[in-house]
Amino acid sequence: MMRSVIWAQFAKDRRVPLFLILLIAGSVLATVIFTGGANSPSSFAIYSEEANADQIEKKWEKLLNTDDSLQFSIADSAQVKEDLEKGNIDSAVKLMENDYKIITSDEITDVSYMQQHVHSVFQREAEISAITDLEGNELTREDVEKYLQAGPVQMEKVGLNNEEMTDYNMRTQLMFAFTLLIAIFILGFRVNNVTHDKVSGVWDRMILAPISKTKMYTGYILYSFFISMFQIVAVLLLFKYVLKYDLGNQFWLIILVSALFVFSMISIAMLITGFVKTPEQFYAIYPSIIPLIPLISGSYMMPGTISNPILLFVADLFPMAHAMDAIMNVIFYDAGLADITMSLLVMLLIGIVGMGLGINLVERRSR
Amino acid sequence: MLETVDLSKSFKGNKAVQNVNLYLDQGESVGLLGPNGAGKSTTISMMSTLLKPTSGEIKLNGANTLGKPDELRKVLGVVPQEIALYQELSAYENLRFFGSIYNLKGQKLEKRIQDALEMVGLKDRQKGIVKTFSGGMKRRINIAAALLHEPEILILDEPTVGIDPQSRNHILETVKNLNKEKGTTILYTSHYMEEVEQLCDRLYIMDHGAVIAAGTKLELLSILSSEDTNKVELNHLDESFIQEVKDMEGISKVEASNLQLKIIAKKGSNLISNLVHLAEKHHVQIVNFHTETPSLEDVFLHLTGRTLRD
Ligand SMILES: Nc1ncnc2c1ncn2[C@@H]1O[C@H](COP(=O)(O)OP(=O)(O)OP(=O)(O)O)[C@@H](O)[C@H]1O
Ligand SMILES: [Mg+2]
Repeated sequence: MMRSVIWAQFAKDRRVPLFLILLIAGSVLATVIFTGGANSPSSFAIYSEEANADQIEKKWEKLLNTDDSLQFSIADSAQVKEDLEKGNIDSAVKLMENDYKIITSDEITDVSYMQQHVHSVFQREAEISAITDLEGNELTREDVEKYLQAGPVQMEKVGLNNEEMTDYNMRTQLMFAFTLLIAIFILGFRVNNVTHDKVSGVWDRMILAPISKTKMYTGYILYSFFISMFQIVAVLLLFKYVLKYDLGNQFWLIILVSALFVFSMISIAMLITGFVKTPEQFYAIYPSIIPLIPLISGSYMMPGTISNPILLFVADLFPMAHAMDAIMNVIFYDAGLADITMSLLVMLLIGIVGMGLGINLVERRSR
Repeated sequence: MLETVDLSKSFKGNKAVQNVNLYLDQGESVGLLGPNGAGKSTTISMMSTLLKPTSGEIKLNGANTLGKPDELRKVLGVVPQEIALYQELSAYENLRFFGSIYNLKGQKLEKRIQDALEMVGLKDRQKGIVKTFSGGMKRRINIAAALLHEPEILILDEPTVGIDPQSRNHILETVKNLNKEKGTTILYTSHYMEEVEQLCDRLYIMDHGAVIAAGTKLELLSILSSEDTNKVELNHLDESFIQEVKDMEGISKVEASNLQLKIIAKKGSNLISNLVHLAEKHHVQIVNFHTETPSLEDVFLHLTGRTLRD
């Protein structure tokens, strides 16, 4: 009988598949647009005017080229200045022994992401040399690097700003942020079918039939779950195999994180359903709350950008921050199931609490 | 078979239904009449276990059903006032879904679907998407969806509101067949007196949340047996004339429309000679006069001071 509920929901969507297709296409398009197209990294010129320019340029070229979406190449200082003046290029990085300066041709050019990256590389180098200086010859540079890169758990001890030290890729993060955002929309609108059917009277027909409440709710929830997972898996496969994004080598772990994310977001959608009387109210409220979640969760920014404790706390109440954290750790730091257990458990907890409260509210509404 | 005892429901202090007592015997066809907001739907929701009464009981074969609705739900079919269907799906798909939540499967489900479609006369339109149907066709599928589990008691809430005459006749015919041929017990809600007269053995009249009259058609008509309904056609009407007619002895109700007066008066109240007298005084000419046997509409008018519709 639960299968019937799932089937009816599916049959409705099959009639109007455009909605789903548009949302999925939207998430792919948004990713491609906001991350600057397929696989071409933004490139920047680097140069130095110090006495030992060659040496400095070589050293930093190697250290800076650790982000797939950014490419730094050595250029002649005179040439760079000319290009900047003519507007051939928008920005460049001037290198010194232990410092840098970002030069832009105008004020409009957004170099914040590149700036963040360069800043973190220089800061990390400063830390490494501080440590090696302190310890004399006993600790080699390699030891420190190994220590810093050993994994996300240790990373956190050193501080969030150091997370970018491996090949962090902002493009991949954004792709996940958009994909999960669209999933939130899809699952929300499907959970809203409960309200829809209540208002139309279909729900009452089900109450009169021998199908149990548990089966009814499970039917709606499972359908929302399947349809959102379908979207996520479809989009991820597209990015992995067609657009050649590097999603690490633990795809199943990413799917597991996504599944828990979807479950906990369904619960939050159910919670919101508990507060509305009509599907129209849901359509008004849900899309105005949802886009805020990835925003406060910092999903569009470099990790560690948000430091306000209140915002961090609020973000922790939603599954987005936990899911993004877990997925990024899996992809960039090769974290295993054990390393992300905490994130998974938190999402599970949010899911269970939200679902309990949500269904209770929905039931009370029908008194 | 099914009865309510002092059934009441308040919504935030507003009494929608007050102390309603009604019963359905097996195989009966009972009408529930009342103007908008009388409390018909609220009563029906409680009887079909969908709404909890503020007080009172609902008994199935003598056993209280409150808190244990399963027995009642098993024998009950409910046709809601609104169209409770998936508009995006076809008629057939809807029936398949509503049948399957009653645990019907395979051949049996298929047969019940076809029987129900046959019953409402839409067998040849089953592939059509409900959204594209006319109001009347939607209402017929709405009924079919309540028949799949072959309920012993069928409750219909205004199943003919705002539809074409053809669909309406179809629905009346369907209900009659269910009652006469399958022995289904019927509770039929409407604000069309003639439907209820045609279909029902007994009827209840509700107004302002309470049952104000109950009985067979003849019993209800006898309320008015001491009165006659008279129709008078005049060549000209004025207010003072109507007022004086109202003030005459033995008159319980006067309604004026165009050049016609409908006068409900006590039998033997000398209406004709009084009326002729008055007409002469006001220089009004009586064009036509006749006395009607009272209809249920008249009973309603008498009881509530209003007509059933608008
Ligand atoms: N859920 C509710 N909350 C508050 N008031 C309600 C609710 N349902 C019904 N009422 C009120 O109860 C009264 C009776 O309503 P009900 O729907 O039972 O009338 P009805 O006889 O079915 O009328 P109609 O012919 O318009 O269907 C009305 O005054 C209505 O406003
Ligand atoms: Mg009603």
